[in-house]
Amino acid sequence: MAERPEDLNLPNAVITRIIKEALPDGVNISKEARSAISRAASVFVLYATSCANNFAMKGKRKTLNASDVLSAMEEMEFQRFITPLKEALEAYRREQKGKKEASEQKKKDKDRKTDSEEQDRSRDEDNDEDEERLEEEEQNEEEEVDN
Amino acid sequence: MAAAASNGTPREEEGPAGEVAASQPQAPTNGPGVRLSRLPLARVKALVKADPDVTLAGQEAIFVLARAAELFVETIAKDAYCCAQQGKRKTLQRRDLDNAIEAVDEFAFLEGTLD
Repeated sequence: MAERPEDLNLPNAVITRIIKEALPDGVNISKEARSAISRAASVFVLYATSCANNFAMKGKRKTLNASDVLSAMEEMEFQRFITPLKEALEAYRREQKGKKEASEQKKKDKDRKTDSEEQDRSRDEDNDEDEERLEEEEQNEEEEVDN
Repeated sequence: MAAAASNGTPREEEGPAGEVAASQPQAPTNGPGVRLSRLPLARVKALVKADPDVTLAGQEAIFVLARAAELFVETIAKDAYCCAQQGKRKTLQRRDLDNAIEAVDEFAFLEGTLD
């Protein structure tokens, strides 16, 4: 049978760890229950993605963003997730900002040493993320054509 | 090490900067042990891309989905455990999960998907 999206599983070890930490010490989980939860998590992501995508389309955007996902949580009646998710998002943004600043600092150090060649290379690094998105966009466009 | 979790008291979800110190292959190493997401973003991204209606998803969206999935796993595990406790068992079984799915409205979307 063809592989369905629900068969894309998340790593067992991580799922198990999350479950064990959520439960009191000494509580075990059967293999069947664990794998069912893992599958449920995949279904959750697929469902949330679909909901989030509706919000993106309503906003006439082609790219899913964080607030679309948060809106999806509300729609799916998981409002209790929203506050912890917002906090996690802020921490994530801070970390990303830190990474960016670190790489910009590296660039400045390089510039002090050499001139034109170094500058050109670092500009390419900045565009990496955009290039990734462009590649995905191209791939997705191809998929849409097939459909 | 881990904070003593007393049974019976409702546990709020701990922030990402918990006491977990286990090493993870994919975790970013910068930052003093603040783990933002345990689930690898690449796998979550693969799930998102499986949706034919989705054109693009930003990094932040993938991250929030990953984190939400973790919260979901915690939530459903705890709800299923309540069922096991009623059976005075210490091992979570598949049927506990099925019971939780039937009992909790928010899990209705899972019906029929786990077989």
